Amino acid sequence: MNWFNTNLRDILVGRMNRFGQIISAIILAIIIGALIIYINGDDPLVAYQALIISSLGSSAAIASTLSKSTPLILTGLCATIAFRSGVINIGGEGQLYMGAIAGAIVGVYITGLPAIIHLPLALIVGALAGFIWAAPFEWFKVKYGTDELVTTTLANYIAILFTTYLVTNPLLKPGAPLGMTRNILPSAYLPKLVSHGQLNVGFLIAVSLCVILWFVFFRTTLGYELRMVGSNPRFSRYIGISVGFRQILAMGLSGALAGLGGAIVVLGIQHRFIQNLSPGWGFDGILIALLAGLNPLGVLPMGLLFGILKSGGLGMEAATNVPSELSEVLQSIIIFFVAAEIGVTMFFRWRNNQKVQVEESLKMGTLDEGVFVPSDQSSFSDGEE
Amino acid sequence: MEFIEFLTELTTYRAVLRIMTPLLLAALGGAFTYHAGILNIALEGQMLFGAFAAVTASYYFGNAIAGVIGGILAGLLIGLIFGLFVVRFKTDEFIVGIAINILAVGATTFAMRALFGVKASFSDPGIKPLIKIPIPGIPSDSFLGILIGNHTLLTYISLLLVPLLFILFYYTRFGMHLRATGEHPEALETAGGNTSLIQWIASAINGVMCGLAGTYLALGYLSQFVKNMTAGRGFIALAALLFGAGNPFKIFIGTFVFGLADSLSIRFQSLGVPPYFALMVPYIVTIIALIFVSARQKKRYTM
Repeated sequence: MNWFNTNLRDILVGRMNRFGQIISAIILAIIIGALIIYINGDDPLVAYQALIISSLGSSAAIASTLSKSTPLILTGLCATIAFRSGVINIGGEGQLYMGAIAGAIVGVYITGLPAIIHLPLALIVGALAGFIWAAPFEWFKVKYGTDELVTTTLANYIAILFTTYLVTNPLLKPGAPLGMTRNILPSAYLPKLVSHGQLNVGFLIAVSLCVILWFVFFRTTLGYELRMVGSNPRFSRYIGISVGFRQILAMGLSGALAGLGGAIVVLGIQHRFIQNLSPGWGFDGILIALLAGLNPLGVLPMGLLFGILKSGGLGMEAATNVPSELSEVLQSIIIFFVAAEIGVTMFFRWRNNQKVQVEESLKMGTLDEGVFVPSDQSSFSDGEE
Repeated sequence: MEFIEFLTELTTYRAVLRIMTPLLLAALGGAFTYHAGILNIALEGQMLFGAFAAVTASYYFGNAIAGVIGGILAGLLIGLIFGLFVVRFKTDEFIVGIAINILAVGATTFAMRALFGVKASFSDPGIKPLIKIPIPGIPSDSFLGILIGNHTLLTYISLLLVPLLFILFYYTRFGMHLRATGEHPEALETAGGNTSLIQWIASAINGVMCGLAGTYLALGYLSQFVKNMTAGRGFIALAALLFGAGNPFKIFIGTFVFGLADSLSIRFQSLGVPPYFALMVPYIVTIIALIFVSARQKKRYTM
C-alpha cells in the first residue's frame, strides 16, 4: 500500500519535474534570445510580439503553424521510435527526402487512378521509400556492428544529392527555373482542412500517429519487445526475443515515418518536389524526440512548439531585422538546458543538497558536543508500538 | 585506364594532401576525446563554428593569421562549452553533440545574415586566404617539392601531428592518463589522477583542432563561408577516427582514403559524370569502408 503511494508520487513528481524543466528551459532560451535580438539592434519585445502574432495571432496563423508542425511531428516520431528501440537513426532527413521524391513520382507519373486509391498509394510508397532507405543500415549494424550513427548521417547527403539529381535531370519540369518535378495530379492531393492556406489532412495523420504509436509502444507486445530491446538487449536475447530483427524493424519503421513526412509535404503542401525541399526537419525531429522524453504522445506538443518557433521566426524576420535562424538557435539552447537539467531540476537538486547538508551539520553539531544523540529517535520505539 | 592514370599522377596526391588536411585535423582532435572516453559527435559543428570565426576574423582584420587565431578561439570556446556540459554537468555526450551540430548551422547562418547581410554564402576580396609556404631546401619542381612542397602551414602541422600525437598517446605520462581516463577511470582515480581535468583538457584540445580544421576549410581553398559548408566532413572525420580506434597513424590512413575519394569525385566531374553523382563518392566510400572494416573486425573477434 505504502509502496504504491510512494511510487505514484515519484511518477507524478517526475512528470511535473520534466514539465517544469522544459518550461524553465524555454524561459531561459527566451531570455538568451532577447539578448541576441538586443545585440542585433532590435527591440526584443517587438520581435517576440511579431513571433507570437505571426504564429498564433489569427486563425490563419494557427493553421499555418499546424501545417508547419506536420513534418516536424513525423520526424520527431521517426527519432522517437528509433531511440526507444536502441537504434541511433540520424538519417531522418535523407529518409524524408526519399519519401518525398517517391511520393512525388507516384503523384506525377501514375495516372488514371481515382483519388481514393491514388492518394493512399502515394503515401504508402513514400513511407516504403523511407523504410528501404533506413533498414539496410541497421542490418549492417546487426550483422557487422557498423556504427549506424555515422552511416545514417552520411546517407543524408547521398539522399539529398540523389534527389537533386533526379529533379534537375530526368524528372525536371520543362522550363522550370530551378530543380523541381511537374505538379502532381489532383487525385493525389491531400484534402485541405481550411479554405485558405496549406493546412491539410496530413496534420491529422501526424496527430493520430502520435496516439497510435503511443498505444503500440506502451500497450502491445510488439511495443513491449521494442522497448525491451532498447533498454536491455541482453535480457531480451535471454528471454528469446530476436534482438537484431526487432532493431532492423524499428529502423525501418522509423525511416517509414520520416518518408511519410516527406510524402505529406509533397502531396499536401507543395504539390511537387522542389530541390532542397527540407530546411532540416530531419534534424529538428531528433531534438523534438529528446525533448518529448522519447514518448510518442510528447512528440505532439514539442512538434507544435517547434512549429510555432519556425512559423513565428519567419514572421519575426518580416517585421524586424532578426534573421529567422534565431528559432534554430533557440531550439538548440532549449535542448542544452533540458538535457543538462539546468533550471528547475537543478534548483530542486541544489535545495535538496542544502537540506542534506543542514541535516548533516546538525548531526555533526551534536557529535561535537561529545554527546551522541541519534538524529531519528523514533527508530528506537519502532518495534515496541 | 583513366583511373590508373589518376592514381599514378603525382598531382593527385598533392590534391589529396590538401583535401585531407581538415579531415586529419578534426579526426586527430577527436582522438583526444576518444581516448578520454567521450564519443564526440560534435566535430562537424565545431568545424563549422571554426570556419565562420576564421572568415569573420580574416575579413575584419584583413589578415590570415587573425583568421587562424579566430578559428582557434572559436574552437576553444565550443570545446569548453562541450566540456562544461559533458564533464561538469554529466550531460549525455550524444545529446550535447547533436545540439552543438544543429546550433552550429543555425548560429553561423544567423550571424552571417546579421553581420554581412547575405543568406547563402559570404565571399569578399577582404577575406585573406592562408598563404602557401614552400619548404626551404626542397626545390618546387622536384618529386618531393610537387608532393609536399608549397602547402599551407596547417597542412604541414597536420602531417607533423601524426607521429607527435602517436608518441604523446602511447609513450608519455599524459597519454597514459588520457587513455586510462577512457579505459579504467576508477584505476586512474585510485592512483591519484584527475579524470575530470583530463576530460576538460581533451575537450578543449579537440575544440581547438576542430577550429583549425574549419579554418582550413574556409581559408585554405576559396576563402569564403558557405552555409553548412562542412557538409558532413565532421562525420567523415569521425568515421576515420572510429576505424582508426584513436591511433594517429590509422587515422592518417583513413583520412587519406577519404581525401582520395574526394579528389576522385572532382576528377569524375571533369570526365562528364553528373556532378551530383560525383559528389556522392566520398560519402559512399566512407560508408563502404566503415562496413568493410567492421566486418573484418567482427571476423577477427569471432575466430
